[in-house]
Amino acid sequence: MTDKQRWQQPVFLDPAQLQGGEPKVAEEEPPQRPREIPLNAVHSVAAAETQEAVAPVQRARLSAGRGSKWRKRFALSVGALLSLGVGVELYRLLRWGFDTHWSLGYGFAALLLVVFGSGALWLRHSLQGLRQLKQSADFRQEATTLLRERGHGQAAAYLARLTRHYQHTPVAGALKEAISEVDTAYNDGEIIQFVSGHAFKAQDEAAYRIVTRYSVESAVLVGVSPYATFDMLLVGWRNLRLLNEIAGLYGVVPGVSVQWHLLKQILHNMAFAGITEITFDAGESLLGGTLTSSVSARVGQGLGAGLITARIGLQAMQACRPMPFNKHQQPGLQAIQQRLLDELKRIGGRTA
Amino acid sequence: MPLSAKLKTLVSDERIDKARQQLKTAIDSGLDRHVRLAVTGLSQSGKTVFITALVHQLLHSHDTQALPFFSVANEQRILGVRNAPPMGTANPPFPYAQALQRLEAEPSAWPPSTDRLSEIRLAIRYEPQGRLHRLISETSTFYLDIIDYPGEWLLDLPLLSQSYADWCRQNHQLFAQGIRAELSQTWLAKLKAVDLNAPADLQVIEGLSEQYTALLHLFRDPSNALSLIQPGRFVMPGDLAGSALLQFFPLPHLPDYPAERFQQAPEGSYLRVLEQRFNDYKEQVVYRFYKDHFSRFDRQLVLVDCLKTLNNGRQCFEDMQRAISEILHSFNYGKSGLLRRLFNPRIDKVLFACSKADHVTANQHHNLEKFLGLIIDHARREMRFEGVETHCMALAAFRATEAAEAVVDGQKLSCLKGYRKGSHEPVALFPGEVPIELPTEQDWHEDRFRFIDFAPPRITLRQGKPSSHIRLDQALEYLLGDKFA
Repeated sequence: MTDKQRWQQPVFLDPAQLQGGEPKVAEEEPPQRPREIPLNAVHSVAAAETQEAVAPVQRARLSAGRGSKWRKRFALSVGALLSLGVGVELYRLLRWGFDTHWSLGYGFAALLLVVFGSGALWLRHSLQGLRQLKQSADFRQEATTLLRERGHGQAAAYLARLTRHYQHTPVAGALKEAISEVDTAYNDGEIIQFVSGHAFKAQDEAAYRIVTRYSVESAVLVGVSPYATFDMLLVGWRNLRLLNEIAGLYGVVPGVSVQWHLLKQILHNMAFAGITEITFDAGESLLGGTLTSSVSARVGQGLGAGLITARIGLQAMQACRPMPFNKHQQPGLQAIQQRLLDELKRIGGRTA
Repeated sequence: MPLSAKLKTLVSDERIDKARQQLKTAIDSGLDRHVRLAVTGLSQSGKTVFITALVHQLLHSHDTQALPFFSVANEQRILGVRNAPPMGTANPPFPYAQALQRLEAEPSAWPPSTDRLSEIRLAIRYEPQGRLHRLISETSTFYLDIIDYPGEWLLDLPLLSQSYADWCRQNHQLFAQGIRAELSQTWLAKLKAVDLNAPADLQVIEGLSEQYTALLHLFRDPSNALSLIQPGRFVMPGDLAGSALLQFFPLPHLPDYPAERFQQAPEGSYLRVLEQRFNDYKEQVVYRFYKDHFSRFDRQLVLVDCLKTLNNGRQCFEDMQRAISEILHSFNYGKSGLLRRLFNPRIDKVLFACSKADHVTANQHHNLEKFLGLIIDHARREMRFEGVETHCMALAAFRATEAAEAVVDGQKLSCLKGYRKGSHEPVALFPGEVPIELPTEQDWHEDRFRFIDFAPPRITLRQGKPSSHIRLDQALEYLLGDKFA
């Protein structure tokens, strides 16, 4: 018995009858004809004016809400419960104060007012910093896209938005100058590279100096002190201060929420960065064995603490910057490591 | 008596100096501080202008804003650059001052076509690392050698790997079609009248080779714009003008070219004499040119004038493609380790550049690079096989135009403003779009492209600014950037 045919016989088809397949491309406009243009109809342009400011690109919603919805509900309900409890207690306190004496009542009321008022302002202040960090991340994402696609003409709108964002920060002057020097012949990627290299040069140098200073201090603190554990905690606290300083340099309002957000992001990067980060940081001298033979274990600990601070600082620089670093302008860990070794050897040599 | 003085009494001073110079060059080469840059390109592709612009920018690089993508200059690590001609070489110096003078004159003019070999060496003193990264200051010196030569001579290099029979066969293919077939009718007729096995009459050879030279000039003329002109010395003899070395020609009219035919020809016949002259030319002219200058390059820049092919049509395109493939065969490519750098350097990085990028609008540069990729496709594939890094770029050594905008037919159009070459009258135009795929036959014939030549810019106006060139700094960074790290 013949099997029912499970495969399709080859068939000749008429191409004109086909549907679908290649998407119908709209008739390509015929290429522009070359032509001469009378001189009075022509006006020169500088680079950044070639396009009017376009409405900001609709940012794609990348991540859906993290975590399950039950977590959110739990958090909200716990928060509501706690605030309700606190609110009831405060109300009772106020009532008691008014019952005892009217001045006590008004005093408590004023105190509560101040507490809530300053709390709200502080919260808004720190949320502003978070908002700025998020905007920096968005700008960085867009810059990376522009670098990858070798287009022409989109960078002007991006630069206009960037200028508006940095209007009242110390970066504003350098940014404006860099944009005015951009050449008309650059494509988008080159414009981004140029502005990234020139507008933030002063900030990058200052931030690098700060990172070096903090690293050296951390290394010396841990390497020399007799209570290394306590001093490591101290180093942890100092790293948070480092984050604040670097954020302030790049125009992000420093605050607690900024610190924690940055720290979370940086630890995440360092933990999951992968091979490139390791080769970037390892340093041949460490692996070569010369270090272990010539310095003591304590100094090695100090070096480790200093390097952690340095890595945190460099990552913070990258996170606060609105554009990624150019390939050859990336701040290097090698120089800091060299400096740490020199300092530690000097101090270790004195006390050993 | 110190050793060097004693040696000097035994050997002449010049030899000692030359030996010392060579030793120093060898050490520098080994230590990676000496680069010989090959600026390759067919005639009229912009080699002389490029070298002039490069030297000009480098000599002012210690305090310039014009090289933002050249990281050594951008980080202000260059302390100074000067012209440092090596002692004891026979090559005349590159006429940098004259070229610059012509460009700065009123009215300005492009430098004339190169007709002889010349060399320039720059010594660049720089700091190896940024100021933040070290405690003591240290400086290094880097030497850059550039050689300028007529582009026509490049086309002789492929002859080194061909015998006379091979060359005749190649010319048989070339003369069989297109413009060459049309224009060479009379010459081929005269050639057919000669019996190749008869004893050679030198007068006849001289006459025929003169006519062949005239034919080559005709092929090269801008109205025909062919690029594969062999032998190159015929059209640009330099100091060999009138010499008997330049009196031979190919035999494109024979039906076939077996090796025996050439061996069995009687002594003193036309075939033998022509073959002998061809071999003499190869050994005495081409091989020496190659050995003295071409076998020791480290980095290469290939300049291609894409706009010429777009203006002139398909035959010009295919001819240029073939010419460039042939030329690039002759260079030594591959990885260059320490020992190799001393004894047999090889080119490990090649930059393909489309010159005259200022003759198209800025949004066409990407298309220009893609079009350049079409021309060099075959050659680039072979280089990749050898593990050589390649890159395409559209650049302009001296920017002769400004970007401008105009509203035409209600549409905003970006266009160029500049001065016409020759007449120096101001002109604004939209030159047309550069295609990214090979244009069809119809496209070549229509009036789709009109790329005109512009007069050189006023250099002094834009000196020290990035707008004096297009992507010269990126070319420098690609070719030399890693040597300055």
